[in-house]
Amino acid sequence: MSGVYEGLTVIELADRRNQWVGKLLSDGGARVIQIEPVNGSPGRWCGPFVQDKVDPNSCLDYWWNNTGKQSVALDIERKPAQDLLRKLLARADIFLESTVPGTLAKLGLDYGAVAGNRALIYASLTDFGQDGPWRDLQMNDAAHLALGGQMSSTGYSDVTVTPIGGQGHQAWHMGCAFVLHGITVALFDRLTSGEGQYIDVSIHDACAIGTEGAVPQWMYYGETMYRQTGMHAAPRRLPPLELPTADDMYVMAINQAFNKRSWDALLDWMDEKGVTGELRDPKYQEESVRTAEYRQGTLIRDAIRRLIAASNGEECFHRAQASGISWAVIRAAEENYDIPHYKQRDYWRNVEHPQLGRAIPYPRGPFACDELQLEPRGRAPHLGEHTQQVLAHDLGLAAQEIAALTAAGVIK
Amino acid sequence: MNPQKSPVTDNAAHQRKGVLSDIRVLDFTWKTVGPWAPRLLTHYGAEVIHVERVNGWDDHRYNAQRSIVTDTPDANQVQGGKKLYAAPYFNTLHHGKLAISLNPRSPEGLKLVERLITKCDAVVENFSAEVFPNWGLTWARIHELNPKIVYMSSSGFGHTGEWKGYRSFGPTAAAQSGLSLASGLPGQPPAGWGYSYLDVMGGWMGGLALIQGLLKVKKTGKGMYIDYSVTEGAMSMVGTYMLDFQVNGRRTRRPNFPPGNRAISPSLAPHNTYRCAGNDRVGQHWWVFIACETQAQFEALCALMGQPGLARDPKFATNEVRVKHQDELDAIIGRWTRARRRYDIMQKCQAAGIIAAVVQSAEDRVEYDPQLHHREVFPIINHPELGDFPYEGYPVKMSRTPAFVHGRAPTLAEHNQYVYGELLGMDAAEIAGLRERGVI
Repeated sequence: MSGVYEGLTVIELADRRNQWVGKLLSDGGARVIQIEPVNGSPGRWCGPFVQDKVDPNSCLDYWWNNTGKQSVALDIERKPAQDLLRKLLARADIFLESTVPGTLAKLGLDYGAVAGNRALIYASLTDFGQDGPWRDLQMNDAAHLALGGQMSSTGYSDVTVTPIGGQGHQAWHMGCAFVLHGITVALFDRLTSGEGQYIDVSIHDACAIGTEGAVPQWMYYGETMYRQTGMHAAPRRLPPLELPTADDMYVMAINQAFNKRSWDALLDWMDEKGVTGELRDPKYQEESVRTAEYRQGTLIRDAIRRLIAASNGEECFHRAQASGISWAVIRAAEENYDIPHYKQRDYWRNVEHPQLGRAIPYPRGPFACDELQLEPRGRAPHLGEHTQQVLAHDLGLAAQEIAALTAAGVIK
Repeated sequence: MNPQKSPVTDNAAHQRKGVLSDIRVLDFTWKTVGPWAPRLLTHYGAEVIHVERVNGWDDHRYNAQRSIVTDTPDANQVQGGKKLYAAPYFNTLHHGKLAISLNPRSPEGLKLVERLITKCDAVVENFSAEVFPNWGLTWARIHELNPKIVYMSSSGFGHTGEWKGYRSFGPTAAAQSGLSLASGLPGQPPAGWGYSYLDVMGGWMGGLALIQGLLKVKKTGKGMYIDYSVTEGAMSMVGTYMLDFQVNGRRTRRPNFPPGNRAISPSLAPHNTYRCAGNDRVGQHWWVFIACETQAQFEALCALMGQPGLARDPKFATNEVRVKHQDELDAIIGRWTRARRRYDIMQKCQAAGIIAAVVQSAEDRVEYDPQLHHREVFPIINHPELGDFPYEGYPVKMSRTPAFVHGRAPTLAEHNQYVYGELLGMDAAEIAGLRERGVI
C-alpha cells in the first residue's frame, strides 16, 4: 500500500466542517490524529446512529467521515492539554482546524505560535475565512447553501415554491475540496523548500464560485437564473428533463443532439411503445432538422415524455445509453450496491466493525488509481481510543502522568 | 464591480509565478466538468495548454452574446470562429490557460499531440472512453512516450466496467450516484442540484486528483493513470446514506426523504427557508434561511419576533417538541418574515446569535455581498483589447505560495505560435504548412 499521503502525520482538531479533509488524507495513507473534546467531536452526536441509539461510538455520519483516524480526547480549554497539543504540532506535517477565528490565538495555538515547526502546513477551514465583515456570523451547512448561491439555483420551476438546499453537507464538502487543493500544493512545494505554510479557506468563498453559469451569466448579461425542477438553473425557461417512468422512477433525459445511430434506435423504441407520432416523417432524417425541432419545438420532446412514461427506469437508462444517448435514472445512493459495474471496478472496500460483528462495504474513494491509493484504511475510532497510545508512545508520558491527567478530566 | 487591482494578464510561461510554474498540462477537456480540473492548476502557475479542434467543438465558446461589460460591440460577436471574448462560462472555465488548435484525427496532428505529451507533466481529457484509444493514445502508448506523465481521464462512469461506454453530463452523474434523490421536498419529484453541483464539484475533485498525481510523481518519478469516474466521486459524497442502509436498512428512497430544507440528522426546529417581502427580477419569491441549533437561539428568535411566550409554549418549549410541531412553528415564523426585507431579517437574527442567511442570487453575491467583496472573490482582469472583464476567482489563500488569477481566457488558437514555434521548435514555414493542410 502506498497512498499519496503515506508517511505524513496530520493533527485534526475535531469539527464537522473539516472532518472530510482528514478522512481523505487518511484514505491517502496519512496518519490522522483527531483531537476531540473529552465528550466527543460534534461529529459524533449528529446521527444517524446504529439502531438509532444515541452513542458517540455509533454515529454513522462520524463513521463515514473519520475512517482510519486515531482519536485523542483532550480538553484544549485546559493548559496541560494545550501543551500536549503544542507538542504534537511540533512534530506534525499538517494541522487541520475549523475553530472560530481568534479562538486558537487565545490558547497560544495560532499559526505564529506553532510555526517553530517550519515544515508545518496549518490549514484553517472556516465559515467566512479569517477576515471580513461577516467573519463572525453563525452558519451551518444549509445556511451556506443559501448564502453561497446554491439554493437560488436549485428547486422547482414553480416560482412560489421554496428554493432547496440538498442534503449531505455539500457546502462543507466544497470547502474541504479547496483545503485539500491547498494542502496538496503545499506538500508539493515543501518537497523542495522544506517549508510549511498557512492556508485560509472560507466555505462561503468556495460556495460563491460554485454555481456554474449563474455568476458569469449575471456579470456578462445581467441575467437572473430560473430554478427548474430537477434541472440546471438557466436564464430561460426550458422544457422539463426530469421525466416520470412507468415504474415510478424518474429519468434525467439530458441530451444535446441525436446522431443517426441514436435517432434510429430512438424511433425503433418509440415504435415499440406506440408513441412515435409524426417523427417517421422523412424530414427528421436530416440531423439539423431534428436538432432544431428538439431545441425549439415540442414534437420530439412530447414523444420522449410519452416514451419514458411507457418504459421502466432501468430500460430507459440502458436502452438510451446503448444508443449513445446520455440519459440517467435517478437512483437512491444505496441502490448502487447492487450494480455490477461498480463491483467490476472494485469500488467497494470492506471495513471491519467488531461492534457489529461484521464488515461493512464502504465506497472506495473518488479516484481509481493504484499510485494514489485513496481508500478507507480502517473504521473510525472510538472516542479517546488512542489517547493512551499517543501520549505514551508519541509524547513519552509516563503511566502516572497519564493517570493524573485522566483523573483531572484533562484527557479521556 | 469591485474596484480591484488588475492581476498579471499575460498567460505566457515566463510571466507566471507559483508553486507549479514548472508544470505543463495538455488539456483536451471540454464542456464543464472537465475544464475545471486543469484550470485550478493555473492558479498555482501551471502552464495549461487547452487544445481545441480545428473547426471548434466546445459550445461554451460559441454562446457569446452582447455583453453588458464592454461598450465595444465587436467584442461580443462570434467573428468567423475567431475572436470570442464574451462567452461567459468559457471565460470562467478556461481563464489563465493557453489555447492551440489541432486536428488530432489527422496523422500529422496525432504526431503533434505525441510530441506535446513528451513536453508535458500531465495530460487530461473528458471524452467518452473510446476516443483517446481510437486516436491511438492508450495509457501504454502515453506512458511509453513519457514515463513520468500523469494521465487523467475524467468520465461519467470510468474507463473500465460494463458501463464504460455510457455517456454522462453532471446531472447524469448526480442522478446515478444518489445525490439528486437527496435534494427536494418530501412527496415531490427530486429537486436535484441546479448549479449543477457535479459540473462544479466534479471538476474540483478532478483538480485534486491531478495535483495529487503531480505530488506523487515529484516524489517517485513514476507516472500514473488516474481513472476518474465523476459518479464514483459523487458516491463518496453520500457515504453516510450508504452506511445507514448497510447498518440500519434505512433507504434514502423513503416517503419522508429528502426533507426539503429541514434538518433530520439531528432533527432541529426551526430549520427552514421562509418567504420574505419581494421577488427577484424574474418573479421568483425572495427567501431567508433561519435555523436554531440551541435553546438560546430559539429564545432569541422568539424575542426578536416579539413573541417571547412561544419559548414557553408546551408545543415549542424544547427542540424535541418543536420538531413535532414544526409545520405550525414554520407557519408562525413565515408570517413574521413575509412582510420583512430579507437582509434586514438576516442582520437582526445574526445580531441576536441566530443562524440566518439570505438565499442569495448571483446578482446578490456579485453586487452586494460585503464579505465576497472584502475577500476579492470576483476579481477584474484586464484584457488588452476590451479593457476590464470580471471573473470568478480562486478561494484558497496561502501564506508562502499564494494562488493567483493569472489572466483572461485565451481566444481561439491564440498560442499556436508559442506552442508550435517555441515549445516544439518549428519554424514559420513548417507552421504555415500545418495550417495549409488543416492540421492546425
